[in-house]
Amino acid sequence: MSRESMLAKTLIELADTLVADFDVVELLTILADRCVDVLDVGAAGLMLAGPDGRLRVMASSSEKMRFLELFELQSQEGPCLDCYRTGQPVVNQDLAKVNGRWPRFGPEATAAGFRSVHALPMRLRGSIIGALNLFHVEVGTMRSADIEAAQAFADVATIAILQHRAKLEAQVVNEQLNQALNSRIVIEQAKGMIAQREGIDMAEAFARLRNQARERNLRLADFARQVITGTRGALDGSAFDGSALDGSALDGSALDGSAPTNSVLRNRP
Amino acid sequence: MPGERRLGILTRLVGPTASGMETKLLCAVCVEVTGVTGAGIMLMSGDMPSGSVCTTSTVSELIEKLQYELGEGPSVDAHNKDRPVLEPDLADPKVPRWLAFSGPAITAGVRAVFGFPLQVGAVRLGALTLYCDRVGPLTDDQHADALVMADVAAQAVLVLQANAPLGTLASELETGGDFQYVVHQAAGMVAVQLDVNVADAMIRMRGHAFAHDRRLADVAGDVVARVLHFDELDLDD
Repeated sequence: MSRESMLAKTLIELADTLVADFDVVELLTILADRCVDVLDVGAAGLMLAGPDGRLRVMASSSEKMRFLELFELQSQEGPCLDCYRTGQPVVNQDLAKVNGRWPRFGPEATAAGFRSVHALPMRLRGSIIGALNLFHVEVGTMRSADIEAAQAFADVATIAILQHRAKLEAQVVNEQLNQALNSRIVIEQAKGMIAQREGIDMAEAFARLRNQARERNLRLADFARQVITGTRGALDGSAFDGSALDGSALDGSALDGSAPTNSVLRNRP
Repeated sequence: MPGERRLGILTRLVGPTASGMETKLLCAVCVEVTGVTGAGIMLMSGDMPSGSVCTTSTVSELIEKLQYELGEGPSVDAHNKDRPVLEPDLADPKVPRWLAFSGPAITAGVRAVFGFPLQVGAVRLGALTLYCDRVGPLTDDQHADALVMADVAAQAVLVLQANAPLGTLASELETGGDFQYVVHQAAGMVAVQLDVNVADAMIRMRGHAFAHDRRLADVAGDVVARVLHFDELDLDD
């Protein structure tokens, strides 16, 4: 297979992982493996920043590479960290000449059999989410075509990860929205039941519902759910103060004791 | 071009001062930009409507209420089918649809309705409904503006909700929207009146509304106002 068709195949493979069951680690493992297969490098690895901004090793083409990447993080020096901090590529660093730059990482990488190292940023416009490490076993400069190809792989992966994160966030917020709406429905239904049983208006019914929930240390929506399903008496009877509550759910006696208080929600219908 | 449309819409939404946004502006700007008669934005939970974010007139309010009550209409379809649903002639549609929705909507003066899904990526939130008091399709420009508007509205809803405390509805949605709370309050009351669960109470209220050719929200309003008591109705009511 020609180099061009291998590059194209890799880009398609990376794009393919975006379709269904997107998995960040799987995507980055493919990326690391293909860098070794397609480009002229001895080992490749990827680090991504977590929510706290600290880098983590996500994928490595070999165990030796994984160890070196962990060592980079531990010693807080190396090409990946420099690249992530500056957002700029670090290329063609001859390990025989960098001991001043990376006094701990340099000897460790040399001992592992590598001669030169490179790191490319995973960035989209202003966001830098991590870096791609490429290690060579021979001394020498990386071909610019290989650097370009590696950056293209990193770019595809970066866009995929950012889109995936945005999608996850939207999903979470939408679920929270639906949950909040469902909670409100249950609360309104419970208000209606109490208002009917007690012959009081909705504002007062809400005040009683809220006070009852507070006394039992329950979330309003959870207590309301117990009220509308009629399970409240059974649950409260054993777990809480039995005596006042083992009767039917929300009968007069249990509610009369709690005087309604002012509430920000009280004036709602 | 889409960038310019978006910029135009965003400028109208936040104004020159960019000092926050009221949700009712989402629908108002939509009408302003597209020139249709009215607009409403519906949120959906699963495949059922959960309430409206905003409406521009009593007729668009009715459109949202009908869809909420009947579970059918342009927004419901746009959301469930995940694409725009266009009906340029509600009284004489090419494909018969919305048998319960269309009658009351036409009576209220609706001649054409258009639903556009609200989505962010694969996340679907609900739909934007536009209506016209004249028969006829949207122009390409109106259609393009509606798509951008639906996109902006979807993101606006998520941004508002993302800033709300966990478990509560964003206050902007709470104050500007209509989530038919009165229907659920009435369901709770009817459940006690008839000694049934709230789901059955809802069915009884729907049946009563249908039999008396009334809106569910109006029946519910009467229950909450204690004008209508289900435990005092004859069986055939």
